Amino acid sequence: MMVPPPPPPEPPALVQPAPEPPGPVVVVQTPSISAALTDTEIEVDSSYAGAALVLYGAVFNPGDDPVDVVLVVRGPERPVRLIRKVRVAGLWLNSRPVVFEGAPAFYVMASTRPLSEIAGFGVLRRMGVGLDHIRIDAPDEQRTVNLYGVRDVVISRLGDDYLDWRRAVIRLKERDGLYRADPSGVRFVDPGLFRAEIVLPPEAPTGEYQTEVWLFQNGEAISVRRNTIQVRRVGVERWIHDFAFLQPWLYGLVSVLLACFTGWTASRWFRRS
Amino acid sequence: MNAPFLLALGALVGFISGLFGIGGGFLMAPVLVFMGIPPAVAVASQANHVVASSTSSVLTYSKAGSVDYRMGGVMALGGAVGALFGVELFRILRLLGQADLVVAVSYLLLLGSIGALTLKESLTTILARRRGEPTRREPTRRPLWLYGLPFRMRFPRSGLYISAIPPLALGVFAGILSAIMGVGGGFILVPAMVYVLRMRAAVVVGTSLFQILITTAVTTVLQAGRNQTVDIVLSTLLMVGGVLGAQYGAKASARFRADEMRAALGLLILLVGLQMGLSLFLRPDDPFALAPGGGG
Repeated sequence: MMVPPPPPPEPPALVQPAPEPPGPVVVVQTPSISAALTDTEIEVDSSYAGAALVLYGAVFNPGDDPVDVVLVVRGPERPVRLIRKVRVAGLWLNSRPVVFEGAPAFYVMASTRPLSEIAGFGVLRRMGVGLDHIRIDAPDEQRTVNLYGVRDVVISRLGDDYLDWRRAVIRLKERDGLYRADPSGVRFVDPGLFRAEIVLPPEAPTGEYQTEVWLFQNGEAISVRRNTIQVRRVGVERWIHDFAFLQPWLYGLVSVLLACFTGWTASRWFRRS
Repeated sequence: MNAPFLLALGALVGFISGLFGIGGGFLMAPVLVFMGIPPAVAVASQANHVVASSTSSVLTYSKAGSVDYRMGGVMALGGAVGALFGVELFRILRLLGQADLVVAVSYLLLLGSIGALTLKESLTTILARRRGEPTRREPTRRPLWLYGLPFRMRFPRSGLYISAIPPLALGVFAGILSAIMGVGGGFILVPAMVYVLRMRAAVVVGTSLFQILITTAVTTVLQAGRNQTVDIVLSTLLMVGGVLGAQYGAKASARFRADEMRAALGLLILLVGLQMGLSLFLRPDDPFALAPGGGG
């Protein structure tokens, strides 16, 4: 007779919160989620043309109510400056720049169904999930700031045209591939098993990206997994970038010498042949 | 970015500039902007491309003894001052979100007028030749005010004894253009040197290229140091294609008549100017645009 092996320790994902001590012990099984990324570090080198990551995960759903998965990826926060073209005497001219003090440089939302079917407006707004609910900093009062020696207008959340400007940020970033919403981007490949693809365009900035994978049931978020992705320059690309920004004058000088050398080589080479 | 495409673009623009004996900066910047490269990076990186192409040409002209280094040096001094001023101006315009606008207006006004003038002048010459009329000689008298100014200098190679102020001012103007439009400014220097200064024709092109070389070199260093807008990879790809194309263009140019070439060049300049200026009159697809300085 074989001795049965000792039971394996429970995997961490299945650890349930300890039941409340008083009262009858009823194990309430709430749905839970786990997820992981194929890559958590993206290296930007000279041949970098964007990256595609796969997020995969599992949903444990003991009940009968259907669940939805929503993935959100946010890039590092940056200020956004915008101008508006205005028609003056038949010519299209630019307005003074307007600034939003902080907006994610990259934002992707992917879900199993359109967001409006998953949860209500208030819930999504509170969580900052979906293109309409991205948190973009805007103070209550309009004021001017000096940025780089130029006077900019900081947009006010209460201004008349605040929504126009806010929509413009999202529209322009969407056009550049930096903001995206895909209401069918998360797919269940098997009951309980899902996957989603995250595409980083080459324009996506370097830095730390936050991912959130939310599990929704009956219009409420009931579980979340958080992760980070690091996007950073490596190799020649990093070297050139550091050189250009840390020693800009020397970099300029080297650029010019390189140009002179190219011109000189060409003139010599062609005179001989 | 697509490396073979940039090489080919550099070669094409280089071929055209070799063909017409111009720097070609005014062609490169609009194409780069059209490809989606931010105007500030396009203008700064291709100033460096102009350094490469003018180095190769200056060496050729220098061998033939057709560079007036004295005149070129005075103009280059002005060019350096102009570049210093222009780079600072461009930095502020860029942060104000007005850089693209100023670039469009400059292209429209300068290229539009110079293109139209060149086209008109060369068409007149061609028509006169076709009809068998003798070519009308331009009067060779210099404007009198050139002699009323102080600080006169001798420029033996150009055959001039004039004040240093006009060449200096011309250099300042070319330096500003180089910073704002990313061009060498040959399209404005050459006519000014021929019609205003009345330099000896043989040294005009070589001298203007020498001044362009110095000015664009200063511009590149300033743009890199002050604005960090020089992309060394982009400019290297453009210049490698460019210097190769320029050599073939220079060889091909021997097959065409000078006045017909000038007509074609005038048409080209005019078209580029109109194309760049068009954005001022057309309703934009999106009234909003992102301005630089926001990071990201």
